[in-house]
Amino acid sequence: MNGTQRTWDGTKPRLLRLVACAVAAIIALLVAAAGVTAHAPDPIFSGRWNQNQALQFAWRSGSVPATGYQTAIKAAAADASATRGSQAATFSYAAGASNLIGYGVGATCSPAGIACFTRNAPTSFTMWMREQGHRFDWGSLRWCQAYTTWPDGCYDVENIMLDEFGHVEILNHHSNYTNLSDYTDAVVQTASRPKPQTGWSAHAFGRCDVASLQLQYDMQGWGAKYSTCLDLVTTLALGANAGYVGYGGTVTLTATLKVANNSTYSRLAANPVALRYVTLERRAAGTTAWTSVGAMSYGSTSGTYTKAVQLTTRTEFRAVFRKPADEGLRAATSPTAVVAIGP
Amino acid sequence: MLESRWLRWIGTGVIAVVAVASVASVAIGAGPRHWTPQACVDEAGDRAAAARSAEPASLGDLAREAWFRLDPRLDRVGALDGQRLAVGLDGERSSRIMDLPPESFAAGPFGRIVLVGTDDGATSRLRAIDVAGQCSWDLGEETAVIRRATIDPGGRMVYEMRVDRATRADLGIWSRPLDGTRPAEPFLEPIGADERFGPTFSTEFAWERSGAALAVQSCGEVACRTRVVDPDSGTLRALAEPDLGSLVGLDGERLVTYAACPGLPCPVVSTDLSTGARSVLADAAATAVLVATPDGPRLVHEAFAGAGIVLTSVTLDGSSASDLGPVPEGLRLHATPEIAGTSTRVGSGWVLLSPDGRLPDTGPNARTQLRHVTDGTTVQLDEVSR
Repeated sequence: MNGTQRTWDGTKPRLLRLVACAVAAIIALLVAAAGVTAHAPDPIFSGRWNQNQALQFAWRSGSVPATGYQTAIKAAAADASATRGSQAATFSYAAGASNLIGYGVGATCSPAGIACFTRNAPTSFTMWMREQGHRFDWGSLRWCQAYTTWPDGCYDVENIMLDEFGHVEILNHHSNYTNLSDYTDAVVQTASRPKPQTGWSAHAFGRCDVASLQLQYDMQGWGAKYSTCLDLVTTLALGANAGYVGYGGTVTLTATLKVANNSTYSRLAANPVALRYVTLERRAAGTTAWTSVGAMSYGSTSGTYTKAVQLTTRTEFRAVFRKPADEGLRAATSPTAVVAIGP
Repeated sequence: MLESRWLRWIGTGVIAVVAVASVASVAIGAGPRHWTPQACVDEAGDRAAAARSAEPASLGDLAREAWFRLDPRLDRVGALDGQRLAVGLDGERSSRIMDLPPESFAAGPFGRIVLVGTDDGATSRLRAIDVAGQCSWDLGEETAVIRRATIDPGGRMVYEMRVDRATRADLGIWSRPLDGTRPAEPFLEPIGADERFGPTFSTEFAWERSGAALAVQSCGEVACRTRVVDPDSGTLRALAEPDLGSLVGLDGERLVTYAACPGLPCPVVSTDLSTGARSVLADAAATAVLVATPDGPRLVHEAFAGAGIVLTSVTLDGSSASDLGPVPEGLRLHATPEIAGTSTRVGSGWVLLSPDGRLPDTGPNARTQLRHVTDGTTVQLDEVSR
């Protein structure tokens, strides 16, 4: 390293809050904005991979990264695959693969890029990273993996390449608050952060990265958690297996919980929401106060919840899904179902 | 010919119809060889002429066009150890190699000239290499770091961007006569800090073809600010929109840039410098260049199409789009020199297709070809330039 060079490591305000706005019309943003509060899912590019498409990459001949960088890039690929929280594409190294990742010589990034990519979903992608010591106006690029003891000001290859894999998936840069307090909500950021700034070593997609991947590629299962960067309206229906029962008879109530069928929810619209906590409430007909009957059991069909209740009087029921603290679903309460006591 | 007088000359490729006798003096098949150019002995006026030599008017003119390629040279653990500059003429089958320090750049060609900046950690040196003349002359030395430089199309002045050696602070743009008759003097102030763009990663130059305006683009990690200066009057216009990215070219009042994208494909946008009005020239372009044609400038860009790449051309008002056909596998459209790290001049109306979008390190070869922007004609480069 040239001792006179300086790696920029000052505060790095989150840039380009307006990017998505101006480019939206051009690149066909499909972000589900409706129902989203402060934190929006990452903007996206056009063109999706197939769900769970296995994307393999190899090193570009003549521009092969050094072993330490290879390890970090493979780790980033594993990070992307493990933390996508959706059916987004997966990444893995395979000698001879046609998707090439290169280092240094021949990098065709813009002059300002420390790394870059091309994506041609669902066919191919490429990635590049600049060489250790590449000179920018602000100084010399330093990759942490080039050092035994990582110095302040270095960029973590694994973090930066996870950002690139996120781009390849479909993600554009996250739009942060002006004060950058939400920087860790996304790895896919306009301004990369060197050590030791907050978020510099994130090795998992952030919640707003995952939110967009879920919108674009759907959930890995109906019981999987929705990103807290989402704020999806849910619907809850309730039905009884009979309109009336005899005195002391048993009625079975079945609730169905779904993500609302909102066109802005892309692939998440009308998804069954399974394995959640749904409660059944009751009140005697003509009264106003609801009392809890208890948690409903998971039904045989995804997103359904059941509970059997013994009745001695005409009763109104409703199912309730309270907003979970750990995922981006809104609360829902079903319409009332009435079960009478029959002859 | 209705060629725009403002079009920025992008210099993406070159061919020649025949291997003319003028290049016969160069060793055929010699391959790359290390080279230290001797000092030019010509007069100052000749130097200006070398820098403003006419653009190739026909394929037959291309054999003596200069090319360069700059590559990082890495040590065994992949750290930048220096830069390797290869230069040559398109009609040659050999190249001349110069090993440069890590902080180096090359720009051009400006006529026969490739501009080379090198920094040894204490001093920055700027040198003009007359590729056809196989000589060079020093333009100056500075204690500041000279990051980039350019020569105006008239071959009169050199403009250079400097940063402070210790702090890397922007020291602005400086200018000096190409003939060395005056020392460098300030031309354009350092660009101010703007948190929307962050620290400046790169500063690049681009000329309107006539030389009437110089675009100075300062890019953060993704978004760029552009200042367009009339070098004669000093009139300055600035464009600082954080959704705009790197420069494609300059044509009259139109500044053509990518959107601020982290990769490709990316939209290409034309911004009217007078009104700020924008038009989208391409929704999803990979490599994109501006090309002069007899009917005016056009944007030529790659577009992904299934497993392949096709070339598309459009006028700068977004009309008259035309399909220029597929790009052969293994070839890409040669990008602007700042991105490709290689460059040569081509005749009006042609674009260069080359392996990975860069000139090979021995210059144009059998795999490089030209495609005509208006009729889609493809010419095999090695068949016409040697």
